[in-house]
Amino acid sequence: MKRFSNFMDSFGAILLAVVWIAPLLFAFWAATHSTSDAVNLRLFSPWTLENFRVAWYGAPWLKYFINTFSLVTVILIGQFILVTLAGFAFAQLKFFGKDFVFILVLMQLFILPEVLIVENYAMVSRLGLFDTILGVGMPYMASAFGIFLMRQAFKGVPIELHEAARIEGCGLLGILWRVYVPLAKPTYLAYALVSVSTHWNNFLWPLIVTNSPETRPLTVGLSIFGAPENGVDISVISAATLMSVAPLLIAFLIFQRQFVQAFLRAGIK
Amino acid sequence: MTNIPFVEIKEVAKRWNGQLGVEGINLKIPEGSFTALLGPSGCGKSTTLRLLAGLELPDEGKVYIDGKDVTTSAASDRNLSMVFQSYALFPHLSVAENVVFGLKVRRVPKKERQEKLRRALDITGLIGFEYRKPGELSGGQRQRVALARAIVAGQRLCLMDEPLSNLDAKLRNSVRKDIKKLQRDLGITVVYVTHDQTEAMSMADTVVLMKDGHIQQVGPPEDLYNKPNNTFVAEFVGSPPMALISADGLAGFTEGQKLGIRAENIQIALKGEGRLTCTITESEFLGSETLIGLDHKHATGLCILKSGMALMPEGETIDITFTDDHLHVFDAAGNRMAAQA
Repeated sequence: MKRFSNFMDSFGAILLAVVWIAPLLFAFWAATHSTSDAVNLRLFSPWTLENFRVAWYGAPWLKYFINTFSLVTVILIGQFILVTLAGFAFAQLKFFGKDFVFILVLMQLFILPEVLIVENYAMVSRLGLFDTILGVGMPYMASAFGIFLMRQAFKGVPIELHEAARIEGCGLLGILWRVYVPLAKPTYLAYALVSVSTHWNNFLWPLIVTNSPETRPLTVGLSIFGAPENGVDISVISAATLMSVAPLLIAFLIFQRQFVQAFLRAGIK
Repeated sequence: MTNIPFVEIKEVAKRWNGQLGVEGINLKIPEGSFTALLGPSGCGKSTTLRLLAGLELPDEGKVYIDGKDVTTSAASDRNLSMVFQSYALFPHLSVAENVVFGLKVRRVPKKERQEKLRRALDITGLIGFEYRKPGELSGGQRQRVALARAIVAGQRLCLMDEPLSNLDAKLRNSVRKDIKKLQRDLGITVVYVTHDQTEAMSMADTVVLMKDGHIQQVGPPEDLYNKPNNTFVAEFVGSPPMALISADGLAGFTEGQKLGIRAENIQIALKGEGRLTCTITESEFLGSETLIGLDHKHATGLCILKSGMALMPEGETIDITFTDDHLHVFDAAGNRMAAQA
């Protein structure tokens, strides 16, 4: 019985892995073969990089890459600043209505960002940020998840360290910067990974709020590139897809271990 | 040492949600002295220290350091250093960075910082450990880093909150001497919190014994030992502590009075010639002497010391005697009465 359940565990894990990796493998297969070879699954047909060349010249990818890169960077910086300050306030400061405000922040976790798309759109337009990178990133900066995560991390810092820093002459912001932030490094790393991968892949909101190749991130660019009115060429689309996921994928493969560890460490608290 | 108080606490009270913290604390600490705040846990000694440090603000009263009213000043403006029970070393910083943390915050120039660091590490014997992280040090070494951090800036007042309680007994003895020597050599004023009376008695110039948020007695160690203010002090200080006999057990004293007597002042008398007849409850061999615990219906904590190995069978009765000169007389409320003639 035990052996059977062991077998089922491994079998299930392998099955899941295969199901998850299959689309990626097919994309890789399709991208490296001509369209007809790819769809007919001719296993011994010749390999080619032609599709990548076609795809690369088919759209301003470099601009899209830069856009996505600046988008995730802007969001991450904004999040780090807001989440650090808010998390610290909720963890270590005393102020009127703290618990109530904290519950309000947590309520944000229950609301899907998609629900707020219209309101966000109106707000971003009013701020004059329509079709800018900042406009795309703005609604995600005050992240409830991040505030919660940092609050937990900061609460785990021993109060003696806070007091020692106070006696050594640190102000409140000094303590935050010199004691709390360095001690919460693993949490920052875990959060950065989640944030970057989420916003690298985000599609709906950037699609709505961007209007020009100047601001469009990869995901939106890719969907326009692959839209039916441009003619469906599965191999070229696959090549384009691989290009756009490549940086994240490579980063994941390189930092796989740290990635998992960061989550474990941040999760334990 | 001068008689002008360097640190003064006047009528300070601190309460926690109506519960008692400390009440009516008055304390004058001369510069360059070593003062120990002693008491059982929950007596308010740590609270007093934290009020002094500025980590808590008093509900009533005033705190003066070096002649300045610092009652509401921030901890960082009080020019003092502190050693915490858990050492409170920053785990992400190396030994050197931990020690110069405060200097860096206060923007001391790098050259001066290096010199002071060097000296502090030298005094505490930490040369060679500069680049270790606190996690890679032993308990005793961490303790020394905490001391180095406390002395590096040259603050004249240093507060210590049970700094030895995380060390093993042997290390505790040597560090105790180190701290005392450090305080003497640097001429700094130390306020030291401890629940261990041996520590307080052996290190301090002045011991402040506290109980339930109130000061019971302030004085040099010998005063607390030889002239306890009340029965609490009598029973707290000394090892073994003072035995208390109620007046009913002895002729010639007023009803309700309590009489204290130290073990070293009690002698064994011949049968029928002693002032009290007691039952032996235990014999404890301490090395140079043997502690014999006695039971008497009018007394608590009665015991005698016999030199060398001298175990006595339990359950046997013996007679003991002592002179009135060695008796400490307390009134019904437990307070010391004027010395007997």
